[in-house]
Amino acid sequence: MSDQREPEGIVLTEAQKRSRRQRSIAIALALGVLVLLFFAVTIVKGPAVLNRPL
Amino acid sequence: MSVVDHNAIELGPRISEADVGDYIALLKPRVMSLVIFTALVGLVIAPGHFHPVLAFTSLLCIAVGAGASGALNMALEGDIDALMTRTANRPIPRGRVTRPEAMAFGMTLAFFSVMTLGILVNWYAGALLAFTIFFYVVIYTMWLKRWTAQNIVIGGAAGSLPPVVAWVAATGSLSVEPLLLFLIIFFWTPPHFWALALFRSDDYARAGVPMLPVVAGPDATRLQILLYTIVLVAVAAAPWPLGYFDAIYGVTSLVLGAGMLACAVEVYRRRERAGSLRATRKMFAFSILYLFALFATLLLEEVAHAVAARIG
Repeated sequence: MSDQREPEGIVLTEAQKRSRRQRSIAIALALGVLVLLFFAVTIVKGPAVLNRPL
Repeated sequence: MSVVDHNAIELGPRISEADVGDYIALLKPRVMSLVIFTALVGLVIAPGHFHPVLAFTSLLCIAVGAGASGALNMALEGDIDALMTRTANRPIPRGRVTRPEAMAFGMTLAFFSVMTLGILVNWYAGALLAFTIFFYVVIYTMWLKRWTAQNIVIGGAAGSLPPVVAWVAATGSLSVEPLLLFLIIFFWTPPHFWALALFRSDDYARAGVPMLPVVAGPDATRLQILLYTIVLVAVAAAPWPLGYFDAIYGVTSLVLGAGMLACAVEVYRRRERAGSLRATRKMFAFSILYLFALFATLLLEEVAHAVAARIG
């Protein structure tokens, strides 16, 4: 008897897995850019980062 | 016939196969590039020192905000896009991305672009970017586009705002110069889009979009293109005698304006099918070159002044 069980529920096709991975990487990169942006502006503005018009 | 069968019954959950390219297409990259360029000019001609990191942040937020508007526009116009040959290849009509997915994508980008611009640069610019997105999505896409032939005249305000947002980001205030840039793009929009609408009028008629050539006919549209072009050339040249931009800009705007006027006269005169098609396509292409060259002149002048100041 084999230990491998049939997967239950929804099984993604290769194309779906590939596109999901691509989208996940893009989201990670976008979040990375956002973090870097906030870091860079904090360095540029220094302690005055929260002092802005309005 | 629609590319997408909206009455299809979906069995089970739909698993997306959309790749990154589909989501990039939702951002309308070509429109975005013009937005970035005009915003860059707004940033560069703004007085005072603006740190490059903040300038980059502002441009990025304006670009993402424009992309968000594009995605929301496509989410709301999926039905129209499916009926027009020019737009049938967009991700929603092709079934690559669903309308709720595009809506969620657009809303997320809109939220992050506005908040980031507000937090990192200033809230006046953030608020103006939010207003620009609202104007494009709600006023233009949801209201004017399907309701009036003046859709792109009023809606053009949204596309005219990026240099103003950029100026406000750089200075924290408003002035006459960005409003002049606003007016130039505002009066450029109708002749540009009506030239497109003239050679795509069958598309718009099939989709039931009341563009001017569909509602008022091609001859009335040709006249309107000519009239708006005359106003555009005058508005674009006005900053020179008014003393806001210098003679190099003034002469360039007049030379380019002569080209725009020649194209508009050609569109007005050519009524037979083949000649009309050629004239409207030429007008559409030249109008893009016109706006690009006009703003590039301002950009290059500013760069030249900065280099001269550094050398002197």
